[in-house]
Amino acid sequence: MQAEIYVAASAAVFGTGVYGLILARHILRKLLALNLMGGGVFLLLITLGGGADGPPDPIPQAMVLTGIVIAVSATAFALAMLVRLYQETGRATLELEDDDQEGGGDG
Amino acid sequence: MGISLVIDVLLALGLVGLALQVVAGPSLFRSIVLFVVFGLVMALAWARLHAPDLAMAEAAIGAGITGALLLMTYRRLVELNPEKRGETYLGSRWLAAPVGVLTGVLVGLIGWAALQLPPGDTTAGTLARDALDETGVSNPVTGVLLVFRGYDTLLEMGVLLLAFLGARAVASGRAHSPGTSEVSEPALVGALLSLVVPLTILVGIYLLRAGGHAPGGAFQAGAVLAAGGVLLSLTGRLVPTDHTPLVQRLVLVLGLLVFSGMGLFMLFAGSAMLSLPGTWAIYLVETALMISIALPLALLFAQAPGLKGRGH
Amino acid sequence: MAEQAMILLVFLPLLAACLAFVLAGTPARVIAGITMAALPALMLPITVDVIDQGEIAHSLGGHAAPLGIRLVADGSGALMLWLVAIIGSLASLHAWFSFRDQPDAEGTFWPLWLILIAGLNGMFLSCDLFNLYVAMELVTLSAVALVALAGGPVALSAAMRYLLLAMLASLAYLLGVVLIYNATGTMDFRLLAADLEATPEVIISLVLITVGLLLKTAIFPLHVWLPRAHASAPGPVSAVLSALVVKASLFVLYRIWFWSGAELDLAPAEWVLGLAGAGAIIYGSLAALVQSRLKLLVAYSTVAQLGYLMMIFPLASLLAWPAANYQIMAHALAKAALFLAAANILRGQGTDRLQELGGLDRRQPIDLFAFGIAGVSIMGLPPSGGFLAKWMFLETAWAQAAWGWLAVMVIGSLLAAAYIFRALAGMLTSRQTEFQARIRPVHRAMSLSALALALLALASGFASSPILELLGLEPPGLSVDS
Repeated sequence: MQAEIYVAASAAVFGTGVYGLILARHILRKLLALNLMGGGVFLLLITLGGGADGPPDPIPQAMVLTGIVIAVSATAFALAMLVRLYQETGRATLELEDDDQEGGGDG
Repeated sequence: MGISLVIDVLLALGLVGLALQVVAGPSLFRSIVLFVVFGLVMALAWARLHAPDLAMAEAAIGAGITGALLLMTYRRLVELNPEKRGETYLGSRWLAAPVGVLTGVLVGLIGWAALQLPPGDTTAGTLARDALDETGVSNPVTGVLLVFRGYDTLLEMGVLLLAFLGARAVASGRAHSPGTSEVSEPALVGALLSLVVPLTILVGIYLLRAGGHAPGGAFQAGAVLAAGGVLLSLTGRLVPTDHTPLVQRLVLVLGLLVFSGMGLFMLFAGSAMLSLPGTWAIYLVETALMISIALPLALLFAQAPGLKGRGH
Repeated sequence: MAEQAMILLVFLPLLAACLAFVLAGTPARVIAGITMAALPALMLPITVDVIDQGEIAHSLGGHAAPLGIRLVADGSGALMLWLVAIIGSLASLHAWFSFRDQPDAEGTFWPLWLILIAGLNGMFLSCDLFNLYVAMELVTLSAVALVALAGGPVALSAAMRYLLLAMLASLAYLLGVVLIYNATGTMDFRLLAADLEATPEVIISLVLITVGLLLKTAIFPLHVWLPRAHASAPGPVSAVLSALVVKASLFVLYRIWFWSGAELDLAPAEWVLGLAGAGAIIYGSLAALVQSRLKLLVAYSTVAQLGYLMMIFPLASLLAWPAANYQIMAHALAKAALFLAAANILRGQGTDRLQELGGLDRRQPIDLFAFGIAGVSIMGLPPSGGFLAKWMFLETAWAQAAWGWLAVMVIGSLLAAAYIFRALAGMLTSRQTEFQARIRPVHRAMSLSALALALLALASGFASSPILELLGLEPPGLSVDS
């Protein structure tokens, strides 16, 4: 029973993240949504790994630890980029650019 | 049985309710705060699911460091443009219903698929438990992270380094001071810090040492150390520099260098790549990892390429 | 010997990235140069052993799968590793000169670049679904950071969109892997084939994995992030992004469909993937045709050319396998050449607006020549590698009387000819443009690296037999007459 409860919760949290990612316009909120999706995946991983009945499968636990560090890394990088984007454009949203703008990048 | 089931139902409802508030709540600031609460509730769920290693990591990294990063970024955005604080953040209303239905279907499918899966009997994880004796550690999670799947952990250190490099690449020239160094601070802050910071180091070392046989390990320890760094830079004891000093550059890559250096040594000595010559090697690698986890997290929070003590 | 070399393919660039980061400045550039030059040398013993034994493998930490992680180099993997070695080192030669006048960016460029190379090699060698997730993050984050390195609002927006969608893709992939692990108890993509049954829950997991990987590969209609990101990145970065990075996630998709899913009947889904590919070919080609900027034209051409790589799904057979691998190789070489040439033109002319590039044959003849030669391969004209790839695809479609797919591929080639000739026509008109203020010198080596890649794309059409020999080991999921 405990497993079913957490499976349902993880699927709902993942779905809520997808919903937020599609609908939110502010990039910070999109990042929150992505982190929620990650939380849903991790919760599912541990629940399916037998967490309800005793110490869960150690491999999923290691995967979640790795996943948490990757999530914080990607989020931190995205946040740094968001600050710079805001400085350059005054926007914290992604608009479809005019295709005729300067392309840049000859490096 | 009855009462524990109630706790689980409450935790599950709490997670879903908080998630909904995070994506649909009216204020962005409130959403960030609720996201941190979500992380803490998640840590409780990990504890309920017999995964104390994850409970610690979630509280320290998932809620703690991520939350601090989100709040710091929010503050900078408001500083950059104070008027825009009240802008509506959610997208078009007419999309909400169809997207809601779609994600509802997705939730149903994923939940259903997960429940159909038969409980595994022999998995890689059960093999890991059986082979744990030969590793010299008794915490199976540490065994997997360092011994059986050390390669994942090593590449993950590369991801963390990338986050730092990427943030440095997009940072605009002048270092931003996140601290309140110019403002006078309450008298007790200094005294409190001189207690808390040594404590974080102590807790970090304890967690690292404990990881071999009890919940803990390099990641949790690194996150606690990073929290110490965050406190020091928040209170202006550590101030940003424009460049990354040599020592800090070395520390950032120390984990990668030690782990892969030892791995290559073993490879060319005729053993397998990334095999570790003993328990001491596990602790050596873990110590290097801990340091190389703590520094980039602290630097990412400070939004600076490097840090130095005030007055230097 | 070959096993050590295989491991060094990942760890040499990774350690070099650390050293380049610590030492910074000129030593960083030298370390990167030596490392990239060493990659082709490391490939030699690997190639010999792969041709000899079919594949080489190493269990990391001495723990055999499913407990541990294996690195495996097989025929198609070795071909991809060769592409990383060759395109990576020629693009590094370009970067050596093109980043020299931007010391601020260069300090971050080399570590990011070397980690990207390590991640790509890691993806082509990994045999483990979760390890692939980590390696993919290594590739994605370094690729995004390298796009953002170009600076400016356009590149930053493009990098941000790329990052958000890539994070979404990773999570979809990871969710699928979680379900697969619980269905089979292993993440080794070859071992799990035995335990995979076509139950609805396994199908849902495979759909999640596939959607995630298609998003990373930018297959139509999930391509929206690609054109801007690839067009606004610095030249060598665009080249490696379009030539290698999008292929790496596709390579993983092939692995999962033709190795892990070898026992499953996935026919209806294969048809859907084929339709997405057809959409990519038509949409990408038409979009390339109407671009007013050279780098965007080249980027939309990538969207189109990736569509061909989807044709292996509806045409699934042993004939389609070498065709798809050949298309990956020919497109990688030609597209890297196009992007380097386009970057040189943008640098030398101060603009890449097609209308303003008249008279380029007098001002940047080598770059124009490289663009033209690479264009021959993109169009699929003989005797280029692109011709051979498309010919093999058409032959397969013909053999299966799949006239619809055949028609799409022919139309795609005609449209490719149209957009390449349109670009060349603009550069060859005698209309001289005004002096541009942003012109910067293009070093001869930058032009020669573009030309070398273009000539390799052409030459891969002649030297087909050793390459086909390398591809001798067929995936178990493809049969002769399917």
